[in-house]
Amino acid sequence: MTTTTARPTAAPPPAVIWARRHLFRTPLDAALTVIFGALALYVAFRLARFVLVTARWDIIATNLKLLMVGNWDTVHLPRIAIALAVLTTLGGLIAGLIHARQVRRGTAVGMKLSPRRIGDLTRRFGLLVATVLLLLALTTTTGPWVMMAGVAVGGVLGRVVGGWLGRRRYRRSVAVAGVLAMALVPVALYRYLVDAVPLAEWEGFFFNITAAMAGIILCFPLGVLLALGRRSKLPLLRTMATVYIEIVRGSPLFVLLLLANVSLEFFVPPSIAPSKTVRAIVVFTIFTAAYLAEIVRGGLQSVPRGQEEAAKSLGLSPLTQMSRIVLPQALRNVIPAQIGQFISLFKDTTLAGLGLGILDMLTVSDAITQQPGFVGQRLIIETLTFTAFLFWVGSFTMSRESQRLERKLGVGTR
Amino acid sequence: MTDTDQPAFTDATRAGDPVIELEHVDKFFGTFQALKDINLKVGLQEVVVVIGPSGSGKSTMIRCINRLEEHDAGRIVVDGIELTADIRNIQEVRRETGMVFQQFNLFPHLSVMDNITLAPRQARRIPKKQAEQHAMELLERVQIPEQARKYPGQLSGGQQQRVAIARSLAMRPKVMLFDEPTSALDPEMIGEVLDVMKDLARGGMTMIVVTHEMGFAREVADRVVFMADAEIVEVGTPEHFFLDPQEARTKLFLSQIL
Ligand SMILES: Nc1ncnc2c1ncn2[C@@H]1O[C@H](COP(=O)(O)OP(=O)(O)O)[C@@H](O)[C@H]1O
Ligand SMILES: [Mg+2]
Repeated sequence: MTTTTARPTAAPPPAVIWARRHLFRTPLDAALTVIFGALALYVAFRLARFVLVTARWDIIATNLKLLMVGNWDTVHLPRIAIALAVLTTLGGLIAGLIHARQVRRGTAVGMKLSPRRIGDLTRRFGLLVATVLLLLALTTTTGPWVMMAGVAVGGVLGRVVGGWLGRRRYRRSVAVAGVLAMALVPVALYRYLVDAVPLAEWEGFFFNITAAMAGIILCFPLGVLLALGRRSKLPLLRTMATVYIEIVRGSPLFVLLLLANVSLEFFVPPSIAPSKTVRAIVVFTIFTAAYLAEIVRGGLQSVPRGQEEAAKSLGLSPLTQMSRIVLPQALRNVIPAQIGQFISLFKDTTLAGLGLGILDMLTVSDAITQQPGFVGQRLIIETLTFTAFLFWVGSFTMSRESQRLERKLGVGTR
Repeated sequence: MTDTDQPAFTDATRAGDPVIELEHVDKFFGTFQALKDINLKVGLQEVVVVIGPSGSGKSTMIRCINRLEEHDAGRIVVDGIELTADIRNIQEVRRETGMVFQQFNLFPHLSVMDNITLAPRQARRIPKKQAEQHAMELLERVQIPEQARKYPGQLSGGQQQRVAIARSLAMRPKVMLFDEPTSALDPEMIGEVLDVMKDLARGGMTMIVVTHEMGFAREVADRVVFMADAEIVEVGTPEHFFLDPQEARTKLFLSQIL
């Protein structure tokens, strides 16, 4: 390591002044700066050397398909590409519709590509795009390139069309039909995919992502219902919700997964017993719903009593009081905690590998180190680093989006 | 209470016909008695101002009228509907009864327009266009039509309270209840809210107003009710209270606030 010392001049440059003020104010400060600075540099250096020089990334490149989608039949890979492109198109469409609606209501700025908006988009999607490019660089076939091109085109197209469609208002029946159609798209895609490869054979990172998405979508209504149940005036309902929440929160997720693996045959004849993938999703849903229920309960408590009283005094039905007044505010107030729970779920899907014997990404990344060309070379470090990196990208993006959502919904600016 | 109980009166149509009737109403919080044998009749188009020291039960009384609190004994009848455990009766009474709170209690996640139109659209099934048109009329009446697209958090306290009044009026209530509507406001905003309330009173709205604004009472109240220690101590015209209060507790209270 080399250190540069400032030459004695009349007026030291601003950087030196800043360093003196923030890093070397007292002898203790100076000592801490040197020790932790050296440590940080050392770690950064070792990491950079590993990533750029010593690491054997060929194990990742060779097994990229296995890591991403497991043993998914290559013939059916285009189905994943099509599904992903359609899904991004749908996402873009929804984003465009929402934005257009905000513009119509005067609560959002226009859609022009200003430098500020480009900066914002880069911050939001830069990491994702960089990661995708990195993965593409590791591939040897053209398929993934075509797929990502489809995704990019679909996303932009959806966004533009959505912004255009959303400019005008629609009759209620048309709007309802539109929403229903959009809700049916993921269902149709699911049918399209399982038609080629049954759910039980979804593997690799694809399993982790789909299991997390299914868990998030399913646990949300269950968690909200449990939170409402726990606050219910009916003793039976309240007790049931409380018992559920406390039992599930008291059990380690890994134990629940193991139980789902071995104990289901006690209750269900093996012939109709659900597949391991379904079991994993059920356990994730049950588990996360219990935590979500407590988060939502906190949100419900954070809504002032006066809100419910005002809703009552207007003669709103109990259902409307809850669905239009109390719940929206409660959910908004706990967005960070909710997303945090979803991030946990995403990462915890890696437990399904060992817990249920599913070939998820973590299992693959362990298994490939035993391949003839790679065995006995301690390449597990490379594969685990790569796995951790992908999960970090996903988690970090979710956390970023949650902060953005929070800001957009104006939490704290009542 | 049995099914054969007839309401004390049918729908009021002429000024002076009783719209709200409280008979021997008691209310307990645990063992603490917050209302003792309350008897009060309010006629159509009458404005009743309720005064009294803090903790005397003023809020509890008017909150019993729209069932935000449940009374333990006695009868409460609003526009011919007796308040019982029957949820449909309660809903009906609440739709006929507007309430304005000290803390406004606007819905912060909804725009001013949505705050006002939500209840008519949900509880009265009024079409959106019609509800919005009525909302604009009401916003003009409370003098803030330009704020329709804003959110409550972007308004001053006085503006928020006027939106809250418009929100209640949107249900076309027969009766308006006000619980210290100006107590949370900065002094310079009290006037604008009182002006709206005076306008309402002159327009013939039946109102019960808990307030310490004696100028308001003098100007628009038909009757003043003085409460202390969970009881109605004295009832009379504003003049009666300013010139010739009878009870010792009334005199003491008035000497403290005037
Ligand atoms: N929810 C409640 N639980 C227990 N006591 C209450 C409750 N609400 C009001 N009280 C009590 O009832 C009394 C009357 O309260 P309130 O009607 O709010 O008085 P005021 O509006 O005249 O100031 C007070 O002593 C108050 O502490
Ligand atoms: Mg009070």
